[in-house]
Amino acid sequence: MSASDAPSERAASSRRSWGPLALALPALVLLVAVIGYPLATIVLRSFAEPQWGLQNYSWFFSTPVNLIVLQRTFTISAWVTVVCIVCAYPFAYAMTAVGPKVRLLLTLCVLIPFWVSGVVRTLSWVILLQDSGVINSLLRSVGLDGVRLIRTQTGVIIGMAQVLLPFMVLPLYSVMKGIDLRLVQAARSLGAGPVRAFFTVYLPLSLPGVYAGAIIVFILALGFYITPALLGGPRSTMLSTLVQNQVLSLLQWGRGGAMGVVLLVATFILLALAGPLMRQKHKQGAR
Amino acid sequence: MTILRSRLEQFQEKCAAVFRPELRKNKELECSRVSVKNGNALATISALAVLGLATTTGAFAQEKPVAGAVAEGSLKDKTLTFASFGGIFQDGQIAALKEFVDKSGVKLLSDGPTEIAKVQAQVESKNVTWDVVDTADFPPYVHCGTLFQKLDFTKIDTSKIPQGQVSDCSVPAMNYGVVLMYNTEKYKDNPPKNWVDFFDTEKFPGVRGIDGSGDFTGGLLEQAFRATGGDPKAMTKDDIATAIKKVHDLGGDTIYWKTGAESQQLAESGEADMLMMWTGRAMTAVKNGAKYTPAWQDWLVVMDQLTIPVGAKDPDASHALINAYLGKSAQEILTKETSYTPINSEAKPVVDDSVAAFLTNTPERQGQGYQQNIKFWVENFKDASEQWAAMMAGG
Repeated sequence: MSASDAPSERAASSRRSWGPLALALPALVLLVAVIGYPLATIVLRSFAEPQWGLQNYSWFFSTPVNLIVLQRTFTISAWVTVVCIVCAYPFAYAMTAVGPKVRLLLTLCVLIPFWVSGVVRTLSWVILLQDSGVINSLLRSVGLDGVRLIRTQTGVIIGMAQVLLPFMVLPLYSVMKGIDLRLVQAARSLGAGPVRAFFTVYLPLSLPGVYAGAIIVFILALGFYITPALLGGPRSTMLSTLVQNQVLSLLQWGRGGAMGVVLLVATFILLALAGPLMRQKHKQGAR
Repeated sequence: MTILRSRLEQFQEKCAAVFRPELRKNKELECSRVSVKNGNALATISALAVLGLATTTGAFAQEKPVAGAVAEGSLKDKTLTFASFGGIFQDGQIAALKEFVDKSGVKLLSDGPTEIAKVQAQVESKNVTWDVVDTADFPPYVHCGTLFQKLDFTKIDTSKIPQGQVSDCSVPAMNYGVVLMYNTEKYKDNPPKNWVDFFDTEKFPGVRGIDGSGDFTGGLLEQAFRATGGDPKAMTKDDIATAIKKVHDLGGDTIYWKTGAESQQLAESGEADMLMMWTGRAMTAVKNGAKYTPAWQDWLVVMDQLTIPVGAKDPDASHALINAYLGKSAQEILTKETSYTPINSEAKPVVDDSVAAFLTNTPERQGQGYQQNIKFWVENFKDASEQWAAMMAGG
């Protein structure tokens, strides 16, 4: 991107912004009412309860378990995102490559689990992952040692990745179906092998989908509650569980609010850091 | 004045039924007819006034409330909202209250699940929609007078409730136990006998399952402290950490189950070798074929609590509901529907053997039960809860 075209682009977008904004008004009103207002209350309470001040934040950062769990929350979410990318990428590609009937079938494969309640899916994972469960029985029946999956971070990551998979597949598919496959053919005809053609042509073009999916999955994963609670053990507790304990059992709304604010701010910082990188890659990919 | 007194006596005699529940049925109509027949409205009104005075000054002190009694039509056109924990338990509670609803004419709404944070939000916003709330053990002690109002025991008959279960702000909603269940195939001839064995991973190797569904269980921590060689009756604030460490030291493969259903599933699939379980779930697991049996020694006595939030719309009606709930037949229905132990000592529910095996109100079970030191845990609630949460979060 050259330095000169950026300001003109920005000026053009600000001229155009008022009309579309009116269209966004109903959604904005709803967001302010159901997200903005409660969020403001949470932030306010994190500073105001039990007294005005920073006590809830100093408590958060001086309690080791909070920091351990905060770090763990980000680690688990990152792993879930990686697993989702690895599983969803070939799947989304397959959706673009097959005929309409098979595509419908594949779409249903993604969407049907999406329509099933998260609790039901998580409990199904319990049955699959537990020590006497389906996976371990299969392993044992072929003479292998069972592996501990339930109540481990691995189990939590598997369960969360399955729940979040549609959020990765759908953005990926919508980007991939717009990629002109003749570009890959062109690369092949100019002498690139299949691997090289994929990495230099197709992958960069599909990256916007990867980033969009990754951001959605990562952010949703940060707030997960039921899946880690049911599939995890003490070593896979995520921050939401600690918030729940503070608010529901100790009635410490201020502390719970502070935890939420810390998570939110940490997410914003991470996105702000990742943002320029993605935009850069995106532009390169588009060229 | 003498005329008035004689009229008053006549009135009292005729209307005694209204105030004496055992005579109550069908007498009310007659009573009001008498006063109309007298035709002397003034006298009736004065009589009523004096009567009101007499009631407050104790002339009717012998008219104690009777658990389960409901004044016919007394709550007509009123609505009460009962909050509890859902599932078959709340269904059973509503079934137990059917007679109360039919007789009093009240409209009973069912809500939940109970969350103390919700009670707090209602009380703080002065918009209390829950009239009677079924809570876990500690909240009515921790929040007595702030979130839950002090109960008026002139309106509730507590005489049939097992001893030591009534507090200023609560009566029990049912009794059950937290019991040590062990895998009979694993331990065979050398089964664990009590919680000290539960905490002894050398003599009794195997995976443990512990209630991680919410707050700490005071009784379990007291037993853990006992397993370290301490005396639970002399526990101090500093000993809480010792007790929690003992639980933590059970090892990395310890299972902290999150729901009653999960604990049951752990037993039925044989995932854990020793399980801390609620008696209701233990019973269902055994019924479903789990090869587990209870070690009853020092089973932990637990009750749910019935409370009335501060600022409830109609405290009198809330009290009436609680008093009806405690009645003999209501408790029999509750036990039949839920398999939990009734809290009216006269209740004789007819249940099958599998349910009876897990009822905790027999003399033998009462002798084996262990009552946690509620006062201690209420005083140290915040410390214990935070340390427990930290342990549960793998800190």
